[in-house]
Amino acid sequence: MERLRKRKIQNNIAIGFSLLASIIGLFWLVFILFDVLRHGLSFFDLNLFIEDPAPPGFEGGGMRNAFIGQFMITGCAIVIGIPFGILGGTFLSEYGRMTKIGRLISVISDIMISVPTIVVGTFIYSLMVKPLGHFSGWAGSVSLAMIMIPVTLRTTEDMMSLVPWSIREAAFALGAPYYKVIIQVVYRGAIAGILTGILLSIARIAGETAPLLFTSFNNSFISLNMEEPMASLTVTIFQYATGPYDDWHAMAWAASFVIILAILLLTVLGRLLVIFKYSSK
Amino acid sequence: MPGNKNIKLYSKNLSFFYGNNQAVFDVSIEIPQHSIVAMIGPSGCGKTTFLRCFNRMHDLYPGNRYQGEIFFDNQNILSKNIDVTLLRSKIGMVFQKPTPFPMSISDNISYGLKLNGIKNKTEIKDRVESALRSSALWKEVKDRLKLPATGLSGGQQQRLVIARALAVEPQVMLFDEPTSALDPISTSKIEELAAELKKKVTIIIVTHNMQQAARISDYTAFMYMGKLIEYDETNVMFTNPQEKLSEDYITGRFG
Repeated sequence: MERLRKRKIQNNIAIGFSLLASIIGLFWLVFILFDVLRHGLSFFDLNLFIEDPAPPGFEGGGMRNAFIGQFMITGCAIVIGIPFGILGGTFLSEYGRMTKIGRLISVISDIMISVPTIVVGTFIYSLMVKPLGHFSGWAGSVSLAMIMIPVTLRTTEDMMSLVPWSIREAAFALGAPYYKVIIQVVYRGAIAGILTGILLSIARIAGETAPLLFTSFNNSFISLNMEEPMASLTVTIFQYATGPYDDWHAMAWAASFVIILAILLLTVLGRLLVIFKYSSK
Repeated sequence: MPGNKNIKLYSKNLSFFYGNNQAVFDVSIEIPQHSIVAMIGPSGCGKTTFLRCFNRMHDLYPGNRYQGEIFFDNQNILSKNIDVTLLRSKIGMVFQKPTPFPMSISDNISYGLKLNGIKNKTEIKDRVESALRSSALWKEVKDRLKLPATGLSGGQQQRLVIARALAVEPQVMLFDEPTSALDPISTSKIEELAAELKKKVTIIIVTHNMQQAARISDYTAFMYMGKLIEYDETNVMFTNPQEKLSEDYITGRFG
């Protein structure tokens, strides 16, 4: 009996500590979200989306340039990053499954996932910005794509590995060549997981500031030219939040609110895909 | 050994190696056309490994090596210039666990047809139906052809997989313990199916279940430690085996 009571006490202590830890963690999360919501909503209006920034000291203005820039930079990053991520993941899970080079790429990609993004930014700076002599939207896209690639590569590999080998063997046994097995059978089995991974990796880069500071920099004017410096929400938030004017701060709050909302939507969509996948079985 | 029947498939001094491990030793066997040949033997005796030589399944993994010959319609299918994908469309396979693809019931079957270049939609539809009919699944699934195949029961999935293999009209079917994951009713359905199928195809079936071998096969091969110990007509094997080892195994003294 004594031992049983001791065990119960130990159990309760463990539960208490983990509860406490999660409450502390959640508190700050909710605090941040609530604060952004509170400030963001109070400055949130249509002008934010349809007007370019007003010069310092003038009232009004919006962040149209930053929204458009963010869309273009992220969009191009997706177009560059996703194919590499998916094809790389396919190689690791299929053709390179038992090879040394496959394992090497896998390890390097794991390291890449945890590389600080500012390092990616400076890397692209020295590779694209310095030699070309100017900041550009392309450099921003490439640095974001570099952050995306290891994430999508890893999820693609994991999701494809979850498709049992017996399914592949069955497709081979029908006389399918390997590429058709991959495209028509393995991808179909892994598609929901891969899409989720893509959405999460988009959510991840949508909030990146550091790599853009060194690459696409910023632009107070609207620009659709990827060859030029380009505004982005995150860099603009950084600039406005650290700037001296109150209305800048207000706009930074509003922009933060929009970006968090977008990331939230992406993440929820990713989760829904997973739920959808498992309920359809 | 089978008498002067039409031999569809035969191996000659076939050995197989997983890397440096030899799993099959010098097996020569003749498979008569339109018959069911059962491979029996204790776990790890190499019967599945042997079976997977016939459609070159071992090619999928590096380091595997065949030695000897397998003749299929008088062509050595182990030779280097054989088109393996073509071979596999002629020699179908059904696995131990059902392997439905993550797609609808009808897509599962049309997959193989499309691989073989059949594009005409009405032809695909007809062949999907006839394949499902020949695996005795049509009545159960005709109203849900567009639903995911993963929603079927295990026994239905296995019959779907058989239908899928049949749709491409193979000449030989390899069954690798097709009923070991199924309940008795599904098992008997598949056994009936096999008996029906042998009118059209030649069947090799690996089984752990000796009653099953006795019930459905025309010939039985007993393997032990990678070697073919005895091969004869099923009723001879089960009533009057010549080798002591086969007799011991069949009477349940080991294995």
